[in-house]
Amino acid sequence: MASPVVEIGNGTRAAALPVPDRADPATTVSGVPIAPLYTGDDLARLGITESATIGRPGQFPFTRGIHEAMYRGRLWTMRQFAGFGTPRQTNERFRFLLEKGQTGLSTAFDLPTLMGLDSDCPQSRGEVGRLGVAVDTIDDMRQLFAEIDLEQISVSMTINAPAAVIMAFYLAAAREAGWDWRKLRGTIQNDILKEFHAQNEIVFPPEPSVRLVIDLIEFCAEHVPQWNTVSISGYHIREAGSTAVQELAFTLADGIHYVEQSLSRGLDVDTVGRRLSFFFNAHNDVFEEIAKYRAARSLWADVMRNRFYAREESSCKLRFHAQTAGCSLQDRQPEVNLMRVAYQALAAVLGGCQSLHSNSMDETLALPSEHAVTLALRTQQVLAYETGVVNTPDPLGGSYFVETLTAQMRKQAEDYFEQIDHQGGMLAAIDSGFFRREIADAAFTYQKSVDKREKIIVGVNAFEEDEQKSIDILQIDEGPEEEQLRNLARAKKSRNNSAVERALAAVKRAAERKENVFPALMEAASARATVYETMSALADVLGRLETGGLS
Amino acid sequence: MIAHAASPRVVLAKIGLDGHDRGVKVVARGLRDAGFHVIYAGLWQPIEAVVQTVLDEDADWLGISLLSGAHMTLIPPLMDKLRQNGLDRVGVLIGGIIPEKDVPKLLELGVRSVAGPGTTIPEIVERMHQPEEHPAVEDLIRRFRQKDRRALARLLTLASRGEALDALRHELAERPKSCRVAAFTGSGGVGKSSLIGRSVELLRSRNQSVAVLCCDPESPLTGGALLGDRLRIAKPADDAGVFIRSLATPGGQQAIAKNLDVMMALLAAYGFDTVILETVGAGQGDTAVREQSDVLVVLLQPESGDELQWEKAGLLEVADIVVVHKADLPGSDRMAAQVHEHLNLPGARPIPVLKASAAKGQGLEELWAKIEEPRG
Repeated sequence: MASPVVEIGNGTRAAALPVPDRADPATTVSGVPIAPLYTGDDLARLGITESATIGRPGQFPFTRGIHEAMYRGRLWTMRQFAGFGTPRQTNERFRFLLEKGQTGLSTAFDLPTLMGLDSDCPQSRGEVGRLGVAVDTIDDMRQLFAEIDLEQISVSMTINAPAAVIMAFYLAAAREAGWDWRKLRGTIQNDILKEFHAQNEIVFPPEPSVRLVIDLIEFCAEHVPQWNTVSISGYHIREAGSTAVQELAFTLADGIHYVEQSLSRGLDVDTVGRRLSFFFNAHNDVFEEIAKYRAARSLWADVMRNRFYAREESSCKLRFHAQTAGCSLQDRQPEVNLMRVAYQALAAVLGGCQSLHSNSMDETLALPSEHAVTLALRTQQVLAYETGVVNTPDPLGGSYFVETLTAQMRKQAEDYFEQIDHQGGMLAAIDSGFFRREIADAAFTYQKSVDKREKIIVGVNAFEEDEQKSIDILQIDEGPEEEQLRNLARAKKSRNNSAVERALAAVKRAAERKENVFPALMEAASARATVYETMSALADVLGRLETGGLS
Repeated sequence: MIAHAASPRVVLAKIGLDGHDRGVKVVARGLRDAGFHVIYAGLWQPIEAVVQTVLDEDADWLGISLLSGAHMTLIPPLMDKLRQNGLDRVGVLIGGIIPEKDVPKLLELGVRSVAGPGTTIPEIVERMHQPEEHPAVEDLIRRFRQKDRRALARLLTLASRGEALDALRHELAERPKSCRVAAFTGSGGVGKSSLIGRSVELLRSRNQSVAVLCCDPESPLTGGALLGDRLRIAKPADDAGVFIRSLATPGGQQAIAKNLDVMMALLAAYGFDTVILETVGAGQGDTAVREQSDVLVVLLQPESGDELQWEKAGLLEVADIVVVHKADLPGSDRMAAQVHEHLNLPGARPIPVLKASAAKGQGLEELWAKIEEPRG
């Protein structure tokens, strides 16, 4: 089990630095200069008007939100990302969170699963169940959601390279348990492009990776109509050190690529468009973040209507999940993270998110303890029920400052779209290392400004404490790894191996013929093929990415 | 100009499965700007590969980044393996999310320093600036004669810094040069490292040993350099038949050319069958490279424009073989035809123009058949 709690901390620090100077001129956390004052003149200069550019909540281009009533109608979904150890342990945590009032589930898988490995692969040693839950077979998937009503609770799964395999596990498991696919609601991240830009959980080369993404989109559009088939993610791009504008631009550019590929497969723009969702970071700079979400909505509406000729309004609505910025959390004075998370969550809500994960204060130290994760959830509940920020849609709409920032970010994102097109499109720009270089350079620029104390981080380069107060953190011992190895050995022993081989051969055949591999994946799942076996069958045909592809 | 003779050499690598490389890339750039020669070995590195890289690159420091929580599983075997290879003197710095209770355990294993979140770049530079003792040149040469790979790695460092040249020239004078040297040149982004990676695979499948020297320019201001070519050259972690060395070349190309002869002779005397030299193309430096190699391969890639960019023409003049790389891209046939027409005028020495693609594994056999053709 996961619980013995230990104390950490207590290092003594050098004497606190004096109160820092504030940067002049002021800049956002991304380094964008902010004028001393914004007025109606700025709006006039940029041609911003309510009728022409801003619009109304629930109306194209949805700058002010995708619903007319926004949170007066329905609050955002409070969805905390969770997962560690074995499927049994994570299932317990899921039921704990539902009991505390959480309204959706969000699954974190461990690194071996995210990399398409099994718990018994040699590379997995020491990593099984450590940063998320270990899933090797469909039986693990059934255990993970045991005693949870999947027709009532929406489920999010954060997985990318093996997304199609894991989604096949989920659907095959749902079939075995008797759930109706048409009633299942949830999201699978299934966004491989940002893995190439930033997150690096990659198995296959770019082109076949994208093909798998589209296979999932295509299958679910027909059979699981309420499922969000891809969650186009800027979160990880930002965590890797990008600016807010890069996060915005690269994410939407990824979305454009998925839509293009879906259309070239012959899918209908509205069938695909209405099931796309987005996932953004909620970083420290409150107004920059709000402007980012607003710009994202209006840009995407424009892209869907004017680039892809979507007919339905629902295809033009950018729906997004937000997570507070993990990279902003500090290990010094960790309780201060509570305040950072609260302001970041405020920005996400003022920016009109549809669901939100608020980080726990201890996440630079370990996976969150029950105490820390409860406080994180309570932060959202205070926002929703005490602060009054939910009482009117887009309360900052029309603000000279916010509207100006929104327009600026739109423009800068469009400039990036042009640069990407100019390089020959998404895959060519990945191949040349464009995204990785842009992000790494931005991360370095930011770090230099922190080192020079041009950017202040409370408790790190200012307002330091001599004594570090310790907090209790969650310890994960070796127990789960052993338990999971036993689960896997049992599954391998009780299955029909020749049925597994036949199913895997069918996966390869489908991949070779460039057919949609999804039906074959589902049969492999039902036959109890493991994640690694299934991914290897695919890799035999699609190829494996060599590390050399990533500089 | 500042003398950069003693830029410390640092290998940075990520081990385990986690892909969080923000920190390691920031540190790489920070150390470069502080005058270090930084060799970035990349993601998902097996322990054996990291140790081999440290050895071949003659690193003074090894920076390991991991945020997966698997440090207590992965660091002990890493430290063992370093010790087994006689690399105790290499300073090891661990960066990432390391709970405080594990820090003393890591230090006890021989880790020199642990840099958690919030560590500044100047702090890391400060920690890495502790000088290291190295064996005397005579001792290194004695061990070199016994095929000690660490001694080879160290002597290459000395040669690149212009140190101990007389002793080395003296030692190497009596040894006949017996290996084939192929230089690959072409502008940035043309795919030199990827094609070399494929070439190494091919040569190894024929049981030839091969050394690769990857040259990249260093900053004239700080003397620092960020050297990432080796991560595009995939090889089995424990294959001793491949030696890859990253070299920072100073601005003035003639200086490197002078010492290049010593480095080549060292690799030949050590017994490699083939040496591949990778250089950024363009400019007169390539003629100096020409003198050090048996075959000069110039890489081009298909261009979107209609006409060949003729500033490359000068580079083509010195080529023995021209490769139109990324042959899977549109326009490669036209490019090859244009180059062929330009180079193979009546009466001139014929220069083969080949097409290849590292991504698709095409054209490698033909390329090496041409490289290995006897020439006058």
